[in-house]
Amino acid sequence: MAKTIIDAHNVTKTYNPEKVPVYAVQDVHVHIEEGEFVALVGPSGSGKSTLLNMMGGLDEPTKGSVIIDGVELTELSENKLIDFRLHNIGFVFQAFNLIPVLTAKENVGFVLQLQHMPKKEREKRVLSLLEEVDLEDKIDSKPGELSGGQQQRIAVARALASKPKIILADEPTANLDSKSAANLLNIMAKLNKEENITFLFSTHDQRVIKKARRVITLVDGKVDSDVQQTPT
Amino acid sequence: MLFQIAWRNIWRNTSRSLVVVSSIIIGIWAGIFILSFSWGLYKNNINESVYKQLSHIQIHNPDFKQENDPKFTIPNSDSILKQLESDNRIASVSSRVIATGMITSTTTASGVTIYGINPVSETNQIGLDQNLIEGVYFGSGKDNEILIGQKLAKKHKLKLKSKVVLTFTNVNSEIVSAAFRVGGIYRSKNISLDEVNVYVKQEHLRELLDLKPSETNEIAILIKDEEQLDSITNYSKTLVPNAKVEDWRQLAPELDLIIESFNLYTYIISGLILLALTFGIVNTMLMSVLERIRELGMLMAIGLNKRKIFFMIMLETIYLTLMGCPIGLLMGWLTVTILGRTGIDISMFSEGLASYGFSSMIYPALDQEKYMIIVTMCLITAILSAIYPAYKALQLNPSEAIRKI
Ligand SMILES: Nc1ncnc2c1ncn2[C@@H]1O[C@H](COP(=O)(O)OP(=O)(O)OP(=O)(O)O)[C@@H](O)[C@H]1O
Ligand SMILES: [Mg+2]
Repeated sequence: MAKTIIDAHNVTKTYNPEKVPVYAVQDVHVHIEEGEFVALVGPSGSGKSTLLNMMGGLDEPTKGSVIIDGVELTELSENKLIDFRLHNIGFVFQAFNLIPVLTAKENVGFVLQLQHMPKKEREKRVLSLLEEVDLEDKIDSKPGELSGGQQQRIAVARALASKPKIILADEPTANLDSKSAANLLNIMAKLNKEENITFLFSTHDQRVIKKARRVITLVDGKVDSDVQQTPT
Repeated sequence: MLFQIAWRNIWRNTSRSLVVVSSIIIGIWAGIFILSFSWGLYKNNINESVYKQLSHIQIHNPDFKQENDPKFTIPNSDSILKQLESDNRIASVSSRVIATGMITSTTTASGVTIYGINPVSETNQIGLDQNLIEGVYFGSGKDNEILIGQKLAKKHKLKLKSKVVLTFTNVNSEIVSAAFRVGGIYRSKNISLDEVNVYVKQEHLRELLDLKPSETNEIAILIKDEEQLDSITNYSKTLVPNAKVEDWRQLAPELDLIIESFNLYTYIISGLILLALTFGIVNTMLMSVLERIRELGMLMAIGLNKRKIFFMIMLETIYLTLMGCPIGLLMGWLTVTILGRTGIDISMFSEGLASYGFSSMIYPALDQEKYMIIVTMCLITAILSAIYPAYKALQLNPSEAIRKI
């Protein structure tokens, strides 16, 4: 059996506990194993972003624990947590993923630089990552000169750069047309298959959901269903 | 990399950054101008006092300073004068016989200080020849000629050739009265002194006072280079061992105070300007931080720790300040250098200023020490105004920042 990479245990998030409490996520148990390709779906406001943020250590659960690759996130100090994210988790957001003043190459190289990778090695890796997402011809373009789909692919390349265990993506295709969305999903699926990287992404898009091998549905902050499927 | 990102970040909004940089330039330039202009005014005042009234160094009999009695003299003035005159560090030397007494005209009487002067050497020092508005500078050739100030002339309704009587005590404590004829009316830069200072020929006053030849009450020295003030003062002390030798700073401590207080003034003016600039810079940087909340959230999410975020925002502010400061300093320095040479004519306003001892040409000047103060204050501003926006950026919570997407 593959090893557990994400273990969300009894995770609860309550906003405004004193005034008008919002139970964004309630008592969620999720186990995800290495190499899974999981879609997180549910109506708007069901808690998808909240759950993803807690799994990525961007937000602290009100109750429960999140264990990533054996590390309990709530026990890490703020700076340790940032360092943990740098080395173990890749993020792709809906928009504003890239540093606007840096070129594609520099954006992808940035995390590697934060990890103090030597220049030669870094440049080689950046180039191969941009090849993986089919953007080797855009290495010197700034985000503003790229389409939304191209920006998201660079974001995926950047998320991959530090060789993370998991990539968390919150509605990565929400701003893309269906062709770009399909293209992005194909790249993610390829990386998942070839490099055994675990993907967990939230989405509203039916066509994107079909590409997942496992679909977790949230309703009102609770897991409503959790099913395996054959991607089409 | 952070240096590069910070540098590029400030050029994302070029016009905004340029506004900040130019406001720093203008602020510092204006500050330097105000300070150098004020210093020019002060310097004017000081020079007026030093060159026209005090001279750089004065020598007296120690008791003369106390009692103000002409019987306390410097003996052998002539040989002392000769020695000082032959010194090429010295621009001019004059001796004076000084008595206090009373001037009586047909209308009224008032107290005066009577200076017995040497008309030739005093053209370089008291310079009455340049200040005469009526008459000729000791032109009558007669012993009983007197020069009086315009203010005194008005008070006594005196004209050229009017007769006045001076009354004073001689060295034998006898009361002496002597008649004089007004040979000239002067108007100096210090109108209040014009009412009390009258000038007569030294030989004549000496005789009236019954002083011995070569006895004087005051020797005033004008030097060529202010840097040599201390060494010439010490030299004079050895030359006239029993006398009291004072430089202008000791003679007029209030002038020294002006110089001291100007340092404080520099701190206050540059402090105020930089404080105003700080608000502008902080405001702009806060705006730029708020605009980038999502981006900063993303940076924290992908692994940029708070120390680095803080550093990056600090750098952006410091870049802006450090671009403006040197340019402002350079422009200020150039302005001071050029105007310090050409001078600024303020004769439009000098009517009033003249009565306070100011001349109408102002030569702005600022010494190195003041520039150093301004540079230091600039650096403090750069750092202080950088801290707050960077601190604000730290308070962002990544998940909330990202949610703004
Ligand atoms: N900072 C907050 N303060 C208070 N309530 C919040 C906050 N953030 C989220 N919520 C609430 O928590 C609930 C879950 O929000 P969340 O953003 O996780 O939903 P979502 O499933 O991602 O929705 P969407 O599909 O629209 O992105 C919502 O009811 C939302 O209003
Ligand atoms: Mg969401």
